[in-house]
Amino acid sequence: MANSKPSTNVKQLLIAGLSAWRFGMVLGVFLLAVLAIAWRLVDLHVIDQEFLRQQGDVRTIRTETIDAHRGMIVDRHGEPLAVSTPVETVWANPREIDPQDPRLTPVARLLGLDERALRNRIRELGGREFIYVRRKIQPDLARQVLAVGLPGIYSRREYRRYYPAGEVTAHVVGFTNIDEWGQEGIELSFDNWLTGKVGLKRVLKDNRGRQIKDLNLVRDARPGRDITLSLDLRLQYLAYRELKAVVQAHGARGGTLVMLDVNTGEVLAMVNQNSYNPNDRSQISPESLRNKAITDLFEPGSTIKPLTVAAALESGLYRPESKIDTAPGFLRFGRFTIRDARNYGEMSLTDIIARSSNVGTSRIAAELGGDQLRDLLFRMGLGQATGVGFPGEAVGVLPSPARWRPVELATLSYGYGMSVNALQLAQAYMVIANGGIRYPLSLMRVDEPPQGERVLSESVSRQVRHMLQVAVENGTGRRARVALYESGGKTGTVHLVGSQGYEHDQYKAIFAGLAPVEDPRIVTVIAVDAPQGGEYYGGEVAAPVFSRVMGDALRLLNVRPALEADAMISAGSRPSGARG
Amino acid sequence: MSKPDLRFSMPLASASAASPLPWLLISATALLVIGVVMIASASVDIAAQMTGNSFYFMTRQLIYAGLGCAVALGIANVPLAWWERSGWLMLGIGLAALVLVLTPFGHTVNGSTRWIPLGLFNVQVSEVTKICLIAYLAGYVVRRREELVHTWSGFLKPLLVLGLASTLLVMQPDFGATVVLMTAAMGMIFLSGVRLSRFMPLIGLTAVIGVLLVIFEPYRLKRVVSYLDPWQDQFNSGYQLTQSLIAFGRGEWTGLGLGNSVQKLFFLPEAHTDFIFAIIAEEFGLFGSLAVLVLFAVLVTVGFVIARLAERDGMPFAACFAYGLTLLVGLQAAINMGVSTGLLPTKGLTLPLVSYGGSSLLANCVIIGVLARIEMERQDLRQQKAEAGKGTRQGGARYVD
Repeated sequence: MANSKPSTNVKQLLIAGLSAWRFGMVLGVFLLAVLAIAWRLVDLHVIDQEFLRQQGDVRTIRTETIDAHRGMIVDRHGEPLAVSTPVETVWANPREIDPQDPRLTPVARLLGLDERALRNRIRELGGREFIYVRRKIQPDLARQVLAVGLPGIYSRREYRRYYPAGEVTAHVVGFTNIDEWGQEGIELSFDNWLTGKVGLKRVLKDNRGRQIKDLNLVRDARPGRDITLSLDLRLQYLAYRELKAVVQAHGARGGTLVMLDVNTGEVLAMVNQNSYNPNDRSQISPESLRNKAITDLFEPGSTIKPLTVAAALESGLYRPESKIDTAPGFLRFGRFTIRDARNYGEMSLTDIIARSSNVGTSRIAAELGGDQLRDLLFRMGLGQATGVGFPGEAVGVLPSPARWRPVELATLSYGYGMSVNALQLAQAYMVIANGGIRYPLSLMRVDEPPQGERVLSESVSRQVRHMLQVAVENGTGRRARVALYESGGKTGTVHLVGSQGYEHDQYKAIFAGLAPVEDPRIVTVIAVDAPQGGEYYGGEVAAPVFSRVMGDALRLLNVRPALEADAMISAGSRPSGARG
Repeated sequence: MSKPDLRFSMPLASASAASPLPWLLISATALLVIGVVMIASASVDIAAQMTGNSFYFMTRQLIYAGLGCAVALGIANVPLAWWERSGWLMLGIGLAALVLVLTPFGHTVNGSTRWIPLGLFNVQVSEVTKICLIAYLAGYVVRRREELVHTWSGFLKPLLVLGLASTLLVMQPDFGATVVLMTAAMGMIFLSGVRLSRFMPLIGLTAVIGVLLVIFEPYRLKRVVSYLDPWQDQFNSGYQLTQSLIAFGRGEWTGLGLGNSVQKLFFLPEAHTDFIFAIIAEEFGLFGSLAVLVLFAVLVTVGFVIARLAERDGMPFAACFAYGLTLLVGLQAAINMGVSTGLLPTKGLTLPLVSYGGSSLLANCVIIGVLARIEMERQDLRQQKAEAGKGTRQGGARYVD
């Protein structure tokens, strides 16, 4: 551009040289490129579409589970005993977290974790994509943790099992582990029934694993089914309170109480000492986990005597007023001597029950023979499973020798040489109470009238009931009298079995009874292990519990009180000093 | 000399009646608007994750777009004579920027040192250099045309300058920008009338350099291999391309709808920058992607028409400059779309006017401004000539092949 002359020359040259074909070629190449891209677009959008979409789906579509919560366990009136409540579980993807991240400090502090341990865990498990940080915490706390804003920390919904009645129903209901699998009690035996079936759905997820949208449902979630127990929480509380009180008052090792509805075979209350809090299992001793009412066996002792007498009445050889000579107050079988508290002389069957004569029942048993007695005990459900379907049930032992040795038969007649659990004993008394029908026992509420089996005649059961009433009003069980109601029952005091055989100074105080006598509604069996201090007889330790529990229970069940008030007044003036 | 041979007379003949200027502005504005909307859609989640503000990238792009429009207006008021005069200045700026970025001033992202931080935002030097070198080259071609066309030395001198610039670009490394700049320059030289035989050794050299690069920088080889069959190594070197292809496949005919892209949810890296075309294809399907392709075709064709008209009307520098700039935009768009669709190996190139990025957007706005200025100057020139007298009319364009 120095001067105009060469400039014009250049201009002309340029014009001459700039040929149209060069321009056409460049533009043509461009248009070819456009066509190539256009064809490729059609290729991808339309022809390869299916393959590409499927590849995309593989990367984005995931199958997620839909929570199915575990069924509730409720008492017969619908009071919750075990419920699953939503909680949050904080988890982490160690691949996304730098173990040095300062934001781990508030996370650890909020969750109450050791910060260094948390950092170490994240470092050591750096190759994983999922670790639990803290499971099952309050949703509010989880929100605070997420608010720290540390990438790689997530939370997800889980359910936590809560037991509103705590230790009161702990033994029956049992508990689940952290994954909500049944471990004990009803939670274990009805695990399949309670467990829901998780559903599946297909969702679209982004590359950070977050859910973008629901696509379709693969399988609906089926929530777990509920279970309605036969327990009446009011009676359960009542029974628990009284049992705990007596165990504490006597410094006892433990105790058991079982209450049955005599007309349905339902278990209305079943409590044990010691119990535990299923909501906080950090302090549990394995020993306290047992539902002793079902899993622990003991020798029933004198509480079997009414059954021996029932066998006698059933045989037709005896009537309630038949006299048995118990003099001189003991029986000798070789080295072994059976004793009464004192020499009662000649006494009726009613008196044998009321005063709990070992010699009396031994004489009757010798007369009846072992097979007849054993047959009756077996019909009452002893030595057999109760069928409540509780894990760890102990069946007990009912001896059945080919030939009965006299001492064996004699001890069986007053409840030694055999073993039962508290529930079996209650079942036997239920038969006496309801006029001779054995209903299958149930921990579930029974809505249909149960199919019972007659195992004892109506009249025999009524006669035995009256004997039990006498035992309470005028015999060893006087402290079992229930204000406003007429009750019947039998005491029992047995030596506990230790590692060296019978322990001479450790007893089990037992009381089994029913009320009201005329039209029994409930039977209750109470057993207190090793009461310490002066009192250890069933009539001293267990009978008062019966009195208190039955009185309150009958009132709660709206049972009509007996009108003969004078009977109670006269009962109050009778001398005490009964023995089991 | 009896009758003009006007093989491409159609656009030229109608040009006097219909100016290409509106087409230029319409296609460029459409692409700009599509860019802002698609950046908003593609970057919502990544912006929220990176900055906490879902509209971080969209807001910034909007500011760049406003700035770009102002720059385009400003550039449209710069006379072409200034560009022609400033050839050496342009060369200086272009090379200085390339050197500066390799000093500690340079800013490195993902292993590439391509940016110079300027307080508020980073300047991508290749965008500056491209325009500067094209301006310089246009001046050279016009000044030394005779030498260029007829001697090897005239042909090789600009190549030496371009070779130096390419070496500096590859050192960043910015292979994509190198290819775009070199190809655009070659196109300009080719259009200036240099014999094809002169290009042969150059094509050979380019092939040798390409092979050497592939051998000595193995990650390039990996990229080349992965683009041929991205599904072979889909979780590693083929990852980005497979994710991009999936986006096209999901789009089908009409797309998932604005904002409904799945691939932008952290599956496709660089969704709002280099691979925004894939997101457009996913959200608007074949129709959407073809529309963008057509807009670019219109833009590039208009650029060429402007250049050709300038050539016809005796504005050699303007014509040469316009060819170069149009080639820059066209090549970059074609390569970007080719990369997104798996026709070409993966390169870090933005889609002009559409992708997120201040430097790229402003550079392209400068290009649009220059093209508009060329067309306006040409129309003024024609008007002056028409007023000067009817007799001079036939002294205008003559095409003798």
